[in-house]
Amino acid sequence: MIKKLIAVFIIITLIFSLAACGKQEKKRYEAEFLLLFDTVTQIVGYTETKEEFAAQVDLIYESLKEYHQLYDIYNNYDGINNIKTINDQAGIAPVKVDQKIIDLLLFSREAFELTDGKVNAAFGAVLKIWHDYRDAGTENPENAALPEMTLLQEASGHTDFEQVIIDEENATVYLPDPEMSLDVGAIAKGYATEQVGRLAEENGMTSGLLSVGGNVRAIGVKGDSNGTPWKVGIQNPVDQNGKDLNKIRLMNASLVTSGIYERFYIVNGKSYHHIIDPITLFPAEYFLSVTVLCPDSGLADALSTSIFNMPYEQGLALIESLPETEALWVFHDGQRKSSSKFKDSIAE
Amino acid sequence: MKFFKRTDLIIIVGILAVSAVSWVVYQSVFAEDQSKAEIYYYSELVETVDLNSGEERTFSIPQEENVIFQLYRDGSIAFVESDCPDKVCIHAGKLKTVGQFAACLPNGVMVKIVPQKERDEEDADLVIGN
Repeated sequence: MIKKLIAVFIIITLIFSLAACGKQEKKRYEAEFLLLFDTVTQIVGYTETKEEFAAQVDLIYESLKEYHQLYDIYNNYDGINNIKTINDQAGIAPVKVDQKIIDLLLFSREAFELTDGKVNAAFGAVLKIWHDYRDAGTENPENAALPEMTLLQEASGHTDFEQVIIDEENATVYLPDPEMSLDVGAIAKGYATEQVGRLAEENGMTSGLLSVGGNVRAIGVKGDSNGTPWKVGIQNPVDQNGKDLNKIRLMNASLVTSGIYERFYIVNGKSYHHIIDPITLFPAEYFLSVTVLCPDSGLADALSTSIFNMPYEQGLALIESLPETEALWVFHDGQRKSSSKFKDSIAE
Repeated sequence: MKFFKRTDLIIIVGILAVSAVSWVVYQSVFAEDQSKAEIYYYSELVETVDLNSGEERTFSIPQEENVIFQLYRDGSIAFVESDCPDKVCIHAGKLKTVGQFAACLPNGVMVKIVPQKERDEEDADLVIGN
């Protein structure tokens, strides 16, 4: 009898110690930085050593910093022609730029055409007005005001992306209309996340999760003993208090959410957020948030902005027309709708 | 005829004892869903706040006294005041679920919710849209 009891104990201890062994193969590490793209960048990775993870973080940081400087529309950097330089030279001269800017703008043109102009990198003239009013209204809430429609309409006459001259051969970009300006805010973070994710993969990262301000790109699966998919929570925009998350399983794919809740200001008791509908020239009012899931983070970013600016039926038709692309819409009353296979990725 | 043999009893008691021990071990190792908030000033961890204490208090970190946090009895934490221009940190609202985070970029302050002990299967690796 005693022997039987010992056998039971041995089996149990064996199960426990096996579980313990399995967990020690690769360790989980996390890193954050606050200085790039005016947002938080988070990296989660599974590696055998801390040094290996630190090297991957360094690579990602350095690469992302380069994209950040090139795609910046507010600041100049010594010896770099960036998007701001192109804007400053509008109506004056073509600007010689890095291939990374050419590639971003070619991608922006594809996105512009794919979404029927709902995501427009040449929408800077209108966005700048909203940006200035939002900053002023946040700083000084008593005097918060809305931009005049005539002002917005005048600016929207200078937002035709087709006029942007991208000279691939000479690597120059020129805005012939001096009133035009590029604003790549709806596309650049996702595009950069995708490129940096690929670079990290090429340099040996096998298990990583990269998020640049909510533009999430998964590399492989979790590097723990089970090799389970990454799990990304999407905040419920109705209840901002941490409950009721949708958790999405993610393997080698990207996830982006566009929502109204973080960047906004209040005028006469009504909230005005930062995603501006190119037709109404006012914040789009269809949804509280939309989420897009697809392999390419740049496309996910562009699509989330564009379907935020479309009625549900139109957005659904666009999403369903694209391979391996799914979306979730959250309406003002909390109702949720999703594309046909989005549910397959929901973890719980 | 006896219903139980003495050896049967030993086995039953033995199994019960093993189950009890395993249950206690399981509870302490796996069933922890308690969380804590880590507060970072730029990349340095400057404070860790237990979110399950049931305590309610308003505080700031010595590195940046213009940013004020509120810890709530329900185990959540939020930015409640900041001298930054955009107030994105305050708009992020209450945080309590593992994987959630919020930051005040102009002041270099970030809060992130992490598990108190072991990471649970259920925990999100990160949370977006807040």
